[in-house]
Amino acid sequence: MNSVTCKQLCKTYHQGDIEVIGLDHVDLEINEGGFVCLSAPSGGGKTTLLNAIGGLDTPDSGEIWLAGEQIDKLGKSELARMRLNRIGFVFQAYNLIPVLTARENIEFVMEVQGVPAEDREKRSTEILAEVGLEGLGDRRPAQMSGGQQQRVAVARAIVSKPALVLADEPTANLDSHTAEQLMELFVELNEHHGTTFVIATHDQRVMRYAKRVIHMLDGKVVEDERRDVA
Amino acid sequence: MTNITFKLAWRNLWRRKRRTWLTVGAMVFSNIILVFLISMQLGMYGMMIENTLRAQTGHLQIQAPGYKDELKMRQVVPEVSALAAGIRRELGSDVVSARASAFALVSSAERSYGLMISGVEPEYEARVSSLPGLVTEGRFLEDSMAEEIVIGSVLSRNLRAGVGDELTIIGSGRDGSFAAAVVTVVGIFESGAPDMDRSFAEVPLGFFQDTFYMDDAGHSVVIMSPTLIGVGALKTRVEGLLPADADLVVHDWDTLLPGLKQSIQADFVSAWFMYGILIVLVAFSVLNTQLMSVLERTKEFGITLSLGVTPGRLGRLVLLESSLMGAIGLILGMVFGGALVLWLGHTGFTYPGLEEMAGKFNLPGRIYPQFSAVGLLMGPVILLLASMAASIYPALRIHWLEPVAAMRTAE
Amino acid sequence: MNQFKIVLRLAWRNLWRNHRRTLIMIAAIVIGAWSMIFMTALMRGMVDDMIADGIGVLPGHVQIHHPDYRDDPTIANVIAPPTGELLEALDGPGVVAWATRVRVPAVISSERDTRGVTLIGIEPDREHDISFVAGDIAEGEFLSSRDDRGLIVGRKLVEKLDTGLDKRVVIMSQDQENEIADRGFRIVGIFESKLAQYEEGFVFAGEAVIQELLGVGDAISEVAILGSDYRDVEDLYRSIEAAAGDGVEVLPWNELDTYLGSMLAMMDGFVIVFIVVVFLALSFGLVNTLVMAVFERVREIGLMLALGMTPRTILAQIVTESVLLLMIGLAIGNVAAIATIEPLKGGIDVSIVGEGMEMMGASSVLYPALYLKDIVMANLIVIVLGFFASLSPAWRASRYDPIRAITKV
Repeated sequence: MNSVTCKQLCKTYHQGDIEVIGLDHVDLEINEGGFVCLSAPSGGGKTTLLNAIGGLDTPDSGEIWLAGEQIDKLGKSELARMRLNRIGFVFQAYNLIPVLTARENIEFVMEVQGVPAEDREKRSTEILAEVGLEGLGDRRPAQMSGGQQQRVAVARAIVSKPALVLADEPTANLDSHTAEQLMELFVELNEHHGTTFVIATHDQRVMRYAKRVIHMLDGKVVEDERRDVA
Repeated sequence: MTNITFKLAWRNLWRRKRRTWLTVGAMVFSNIILVFLISMQLGMYGMMIENTLRAQTGHLQIQAPGYKDELKMRQVVPEVSALAAGIRRELGSDVVSARASAFALVSSAERSYGLMISGVEPEYEARVSSLPGLVTEGRFLEDSMAEEIVIGSVLSRNLRAGVGDELTIIGSGRDGSFAAAVVTVVGIFESGAPDMDRSFAEVPLGFFQDTFYMDDAGHSVVIMSPTLIGVGALKTRVEGLLPADADLVVHDWDTLLPGLKQSIQADFVSAWFMYGILIVLVAFSVLNTQLMSVLERTKEFGITLSLGVTPGRLGRLVLLESSLMGAIGLILGMVFGGALVLWLGHTGFTYPGLEEMAGKFNLPGRIYPQFSAVGLLMGPVILLLASMAASIYPALRIHWLEPVAAMRTAE
Repeated sequence: MNQFKIVLRLAWRNLWRNHRRTLIMIAAIVIGAWSMIFMTALMRGMVDDMIADGIGVLPGHVQIHHPDYRDDPTIANVIAPPTGELLEALDGPGVVAWATRVRVPAVISSERDTRGVTLIGIEPDREHDISFVAGDIAEGEFLSSRDDRGLIVGRKLVEKLDTGLDKRVVIMSQDQENEIADRGFRIVGIFESKLAQYEEGFVFAGEAVIQELLGVGDAISEVAILGSDYRDVEDLYRSIEAAAGDGVEVLPWNELDTYLGSMLAMMDGFVIVFIVVVFLALSFGLVNTLVMAVFERVREIGLMLALGMTPRTILAQIVTESVLLLMIGLAIGNVAAIATIEPLKGGIDVSIVGEGMEMMGASSVLYPALYLKDIVMANLIVIVLGFFASLSPAWRASRYDPIRAITKV
């Protein structure tokens, strides 16, 4: 079963007077449970592709299917609903709401989804332990290190049981040791929960962990490197 | 160096355009209100004083001591016409007139009323009072010895007496004896103030003096001053012109009508309560804006300080920024406020309840605000000062900055 | 409901992120709210007293008199005392008290001086409940009955006439045949009033005595009627008018004295204008605060949109922050206002401008009057207008494009 399918995705955007091609007829299929890296130099289109898959941006043409549902023609509120229920995001930075504690950040999406309080608490406690942050649930982001913040972000991304986790350069602000720890966490979660992971990065260390690396250049897929069947 | 500081201050203001405009907006809004209301008030006060004094009181009055409060017939100014003439000569102006007053019963064929009768000098009364000009039927008095009377419109209605009818006057003379006379109505005036139109009448001075056994005495000499401000000086001068042995005093209009100045003062003070609140609120706005602006620039200030610029200079920069904002607020406020005053000065302005209130204070039911320097400047200047005061605290904060800590502040 | 709790919690915590800014804003709102309520209470108190004094002194809430009496308030324009249907209406519900009077212009003479006054013949037992005089007798006694041959004179007039208690004075007035009728009276009581013009201008005598003096039989000049609330005379006025029939004029107090009547409406108008102006001055600061807060949180808003929150929720959040801010400021402002008004209930002495106050018809002591409706209105206007003022920055925040917001450097 395909988690993500892209057919002939095109996206052009304008920076002032200049026209930049974000995506150039991209075809892609990612299976459920996959652990994929999107690799490209800066401006290569990986963020654009990630945003398109995640419903943050609508392509100019082409189709996107997410867990069996076509999303490229959906309206803004439908996309929002989809993001709420089906996708987890981990950004490079500014992942957390500063005025909420770690636990509250994790529970946030569940609350919006309408999950009852007891369940929320149970799940957030579990996930905090899983990402190695048990006992730190009551700290605010300002009181945590960069690595810890990213882990909270991942926990939040996972806890609402999304079909897909999209991470955009999650290790860019971390030192090598912490980056490794974060990637090991990603792999663990992928194996444990079976959630599909799509990670955009140009960091070689990150790519080492992926079963499949899709190389992009100037908006086109130039190589689809498989290291394991995924 | 000042030039760059100025440019820097100016550009800093526009780093956050919306914030600056909102703060300036508060100033402009308040300034428009201040300019409009203060101009209106000043105009109204001027008119109130002018109209009330012109009606009866005049700017100065020479009287016998005690007459003002006791109003007794025997408290007289001796040789009043001569005194008035003498003052006219000395001052070189003819806005001086002699008067005498008594309370009397006035009867027509059908009715009687008790009212105040004033004996006036026909040639000069019009110079000190607006009443002669308000005669709508017939004419004003002409001959000082004529047995004539002018009465108010409401009185004329109530007495059922018009021009040409005869009235009887009965009262007490100066020595307490019975005084009576018959007069012909020659004119009817309409002042708009019901009290005047109902319970006041004027007869020629000479005739009054005869009827009430005054000899050549009267009760007051009324003097007008060309300007309101000049009243004080004029009073001193008139005092000097009084005969050395005379037992007379000179009262200015404030002593004669204490209520007038006081009601203006009361109104002005209560208005300033409201103006004060507006100004305080704007000052808070400035405080907020400038404080936030300073805190945002902590890192930047830290770098500047480590380059060797003194905290004092940075503080002055902040004050300069506030002053610039204040200046914009002042200018725009004055421009728009002034425009509003000019426009309303042309079309007039009224609100429910004004007409009734106006009647009580000798004001027309429609106000035409006057353009004046004071009205234009008073409010906005005070607001500017308040704004600058409000930015003292934010400016002081810079003094407490430590460069290294400041630079390490997370953005 | 769930959403609301989240929004509320976020809004509250976000307020305190920048506590200096929030505190300054709250301080400004407190001052604004305090001034609204305080000023209103002072003005209302002044106008209330003015009206109560004005009514208390003479017209009553509703008056019945001859149609020509207002223009020509003399003995020529008298009416018959109330009978039949009118009498029933006067003794009915809605009427707290009523009294008849004979009121004419007259001249009073002492040995030393003569003055014009208004002479009022009263029914002392009824008048007691209506006008001020009975309560303000400073020396001597009030009149005992309609036939009492004494005279009540104001202190200032007594001084001007150089006379005193138990002395004789002469009252002259015109009777119905246009002849001057006069009589000697003994001053049996001296009254004092807040308003000097009443002390100087009015004298009181027994109604029957005056009727006899002027030869009018049992005719009267006016019937003064007191209802329960001067603000609400419409019904009373209508029922009296219906019962009084033709031949007389019935008027409520606000038409008798248009100056006083207009005071009430003008006050209401003034209060609203003041509140709105103060709020507008505040609103600049309020919007500024919200704009600054939103500006600082652009990325976070983008994050929330990315996580699946709807723009509407973002809008709700900003608006909630604004409303919370206003409510805190209002609460403190209200308490401050009440706290400052309470000790002043004993009156604020403004006798330094006493004569000026008198020109306006007000007394020289101001008593603040706190009305629930004024407090409610001030708070309501601030919250409602504040709500609308916050819509603009809130709407802009909700319109942020998540990508652009998140990728903002």
